[in-house]
Amino acid sequence: MTVLIAVAFVLLAGGAGCFLFRLFRGPSVADRVIALDGLLMTVTCGIMVEVTREESITSLDTVLVVALAAFVGTGVLARYVERRADESEDA
Amino acid sequence: MDIVAGVLMVFGSGLVLLAGVGVVRSWGIYARMHSAAKAPTLGILAIAVGLAVAVRSTTALVTALLVVVLQLVTGPVGTHLLGRAVYRRMRPQLDGIDELARDESDAT
Repeated sequence: MTVLIAVAFVLLAGGAGCFLFRLFRGPSVADRVIALDGLLMTVTCGIMVEVTREESITSLDTVLVVALAAFVGTGVLARYVERRADESEDA
Repeated sequence: MDIVAGVLMVFGSGLVLLAGVGVVRSWGIYARMHSAAKAPTLGILAIAVGLAVAVRSTTALVTALLVVVLQLVTGPVGTHLLGRAVYRRMRPQLDGIDELARDESDAT
């Protein structure tokens, strides 16, 4: 069990590294929004694995908060991208 | 039971890693959205099931269920919002039939 959880953490760290690469490099704003969303999903998964490792549900509510923040952030940033498109069409 | 939970966690984490690799390696914003939207949803689902299996308490079960439902409901909505925004911004890069432009011109 401990080995499997360690493997899961390593895999999640790899995924977070990939998302971070896209967050810094991503050519457009939308790429960065995608990377940020994926990074927050990775954080959600990481907290759930950590809760399983500790076997205490103290930090389990954080998962809900992070998931909700990821959704709200994606929605707001999508509005931002769209509004910028309108302004550039007007200009 | 713990082995089942561990295998589910490794499976879900592998899916998240796969999504990360897809986001880095894919060409174009739509391909990146494709890999970033679908794989982590199943990954979160698998990890939540593993958590509910490993931590046997009602609170953990309910929270894991809430996380899964929240992810399944909000994931497609967020991706759709972003996809529409990207589409309106990068329309010239598309090829083929422009179905949204056709529907919007019909609606107005």
